[in-house]
Amino acid sequence: MKTKLILTAITTLAAGALYAADVPPVGSAAPEFSAPDTNGKTQSLSEYKGKYVVLEWFNPECPFVKKHYGPGNMQKLQKEYTDKGVVWLTVDSNAPGTEGNITAEQAKKIMESWKTHQTALLLDPESKIAKLYGSKNTPNMVIINPEGKIVYEGAIDSKATPNPADIPTSTNYVKNALDESLAGKPVSNAQTKPYGCSVKYKSS
Amino acid sequence: MLSLRQISIAALAVLLTQYAHGQSYQGKELVKASLQAETAAIVPGKPFSVGLLLRMAPGWHTYWKFSGDAGLPTEIKWNLPPGWKIGEIQWPIPLKTLDPGDIQTYGYQDEILLIQEITPPDKIDNSPVKLSAQADWLVCEKICIPGSAKLELELPTSTTAEPKNTDLFARYRRLVPKEFPGSDAKSIWSRTGDDLHLKVTSEQIANYQNLDFFPLPQGNNVVVGHPSVESRKGNEVTFKIPTESLDKNSSSMPGVMVFSKFPNSNDRSGWELSAPQVAAATPQIAQASRGLATFLLFGFIGGFILNLMPCVLPVISLKIFGFIQQAGESRAKIFRSGLAFVAGIFTWFVGLALVLIAIKAAGHDVTWASQFTNPYFVLVLSVVVLIFALNLFGVFEITLPQFVSRGMESAPSKGNAGSFFQGVFATALATPCTAPFLGTAIGFAFTQSSAVILSMFVAVAAGMSAPYFLLSARPAWMKFLPQPGTWMVHVKQFMGFLLIATLLFLIYVLGAQRGLDGAIWASCFLLVIAIACWMKGAFIVPTASAAKRIVTIVIMLALLIWSGAYFIGDKFQASKIDIAQNASGGDWQPFTPERLQSERDAGHAVFVDFTAAWCLTCKFNEKAVLENSEVRDAFQRHGVVRIKADWTNGDPAITKLLQQFGRPGVPLYVLYPGKSGEPIVFPELLTKNILLDKLETIAVASR
Repeated sequence: MKTKLILTAITTLAAGALYAADVPPVGSAAPEFSAPDTNGKTQSLSEYKGKYVVLEWFNPECPFVKKHYGPGNMQKLQKEYTDKGVVWLTVDSNAPGTEGNITAEQAKKIMESWKTHQTALLLDPESKIAKLYGSKNTPNMVIINPEGKIVYEGAIDSKATPNPADIPTSTNYVKNALDESLAGKPVSNAQTKPYGCSVKYKSS
Repeated sequence: MLSLRQISIAALAVLLTQYAHGQSYQGKELVKASLQAETAAIVPGKPFSVGLLLRMAPGWHTYWKFSGDAGLPTEIKWNLPPGWKIGEIQWPIPLKTLDPGDIQTYGYQDEILLIQEITPPDKIDNSPVKLSAQADWLVCEKICIPGSAKLELELPTSTTAEPKNTDLFARYRRLVPKEFPGSDAKSIWSRTGDDLHLKVTSEQIANYQNLDFFPLPQGNNVVVGHPSVESRKGNEVTFKIPTESLDKNSSSMPGVMVFSKFPNSNDRSGWELSAPQVAAATPQIAQASRGLATFLLFGFIGGFILNLMPCVLPVISLKIFGFIQQAGESRAKIFRSGLAFVAGIFTWFVGLALVLIAIKAAGHDVTWASQFTNPYFVLVLSVVVLIFALNLFGVFEITLPQFVSRGMESAPSKGNAGSFFQGVFATALATPCTAPFLGTAIGFAFTQSSAVILSMFVAVAAGMSAPYFLLSARPAWMKFLPQPGTWMVHVKQFMGFLLIATLLFLIYVLGAQRGLDGAIWASCFLLVIAIACWMKGAFIVPTASAAKRIVTIVIMLALLIWSGAYFIGDKFQASKIDIAQNASGGDWQPFTPERLQSERDAGHAVFVDFTAAWCLTCKFNEKAVLENSEVRDAFQRHGVVRIKADWTNGDPAITKLLQQFGRPGVPLYVLYPGKSGEPIVFPELLTKNILLDKLETIAVASR
């Protein structure tokens, strides 16, 4: 038991040192980060300690992201839970020169025309936050509890398609996880395989 | 951005039906999709192959059935007239690519054909026949664009048909992985933490420079990392497959083992390791719901019941005999002797627990009674039983060196040491008898931490030793036992025959493991051991001269070493037996995972008897229940396929299945009711009524 803990610790340390770390497991402490939002204000995870935080990886050009913004599914989720005091951070981790990389101005325009409801949209062109969370997809969803622990990571819902017509018949994992968390219950489905486009990391 | 959006919407929309459909993006054609048939005409009732042909623009790719860290597999939905059947997609082995950010995907570049088999009905009214399918795919370069098409294929019907597109189909059929060749290759799965390990042994391995494992995780909840080759040497390779949120009880994952000259080279071939689908249907044997305390209680009761099992019986009689002898001695002496016996039992179980924990930590599959799958363990036990029997017959006496016995005469420790080893011996013999409670209890313990395993074994030891402890603490309860006398010598000699009976059973086990030859060679060795014991009794006596003793000892050693090297090291080791042949008696088919799967796929109800030559409970159940004419009739009447999984030699495929049912050993009886039903697990002490009852229920359910 102890050996396994030590081994896990060593592996985590080793993985942390590598480029694009492993996904921090559900139940572990959410890695701290800070990044500028669309207003140039620096947002840090630690500011939101004591609140539920949702991280949503974003790429406005990705068909899977558009699947959820097109019919207003993502906006509805954002509105429902920010109204309940949940902090919703949309993260764009696509490297400059790749599909989905946006400037603060472009981001503001998208937020306005798409009528989004997130707390803030963070610009992460060096993919720092994505690396910390081992995030490889858009959309990829992470939920952090008030104690700073990851309680959910994975897909937004159960049907891995780019077709908006599938939304009504899908199980929304994020909604379920948030409802359970807010009701003080453990998350029954705490990890799923995320689906979507890849996060566009810089070629090294 | 706007244009992109319009195009994806356009691509999602239902498009005009054409024989071929092109997906274009910013004026460039990305994917050209069409349906191809391998035949020029349809012959009623005769299966033929069709394929979805996707031609991708340079640099763009579509995905395999597991797309990897991003992307989506291509989907094909056929719209066939009633009575037509369509087979699974035969996915060619994909290319593996790694993009910045450690994003690994499995897909196809340039061109791919996804082949499926269509079976037309025996009678077709109209000709030509139009077959249509809806294909959905995701094509990616740096960006991803979903594509979709409604495709059609028109074929005339005829009584004979010329093949068509044979080169195209052959090109991609060559890339479709073959079934894992159970006869030429072996695969062993294990798990450490969240990492799965797959060890494959095959002569094929040495011929390829590049080996890989492409995983096929089942279900949305399993996140799989990037498999890699952990080690390889000669005919053996071990893959490491990191996972997240994989079911705790699961220690394998379907996938394809890929061989090629270089990564992604065109000569790639592969073996499909199919899903042990039974795993998905693993019945929850109320594992989680029963608390640890309950399981420790089961362990205790199971241990107590071990005393009543047939393979412990001879030792029990020995022990009772010991109590009779002790009944005349002082209470303190009896109590100490009892404690020593109890200590022996505890030592065995704690020792066993520690060994298991050590082996478990080293990442091997270990199951209860697995020692009995090792013929050398059985051989050593045979030797011990034989020596014990000869001792009881009075062929020789176990005498301690004089200085020791002289020192011991004053202290009562001689009897205590004897009791201690009797305790160890009794428990060694008890292990294969997995009594009903014990099975569940230990099964639970195996999924647990080392501390739980240890406490479980201690509980079993406590249960088994409880009666001895009580009797030695309260020898008053033994006062009804008869007075010692000369009859005891006869009882002692008779016990020897019980041990010889036990020995016959062990030789039977050896015979089942190593064939008649193996059993005979082992018996030859046992004969020499017996001679050596006789020599000790006849010539190493206090009256014999020192020279005579030394000569005797030298001859004894020479005999033992020679016979050990010749009979065991050479002959016994070379004896092998084909278990599959061995097991295929009567209406029973020998077990292979493939056979179980194919029978279940065919919708048959299947009864599996997990058994072993050395398992007396199994043999008893087989004779009393499974071979009973009433039961046999019921099996036949309900069309139940009977499979015998013979675990005598510890077949790893069977070990794995036992673990899936949370069982550490045999016996295990499982009834798979048809295709979809949950498997029914029977109690280890099988009765005719339970079995007939369940057979009746599934027959009603399937009606």
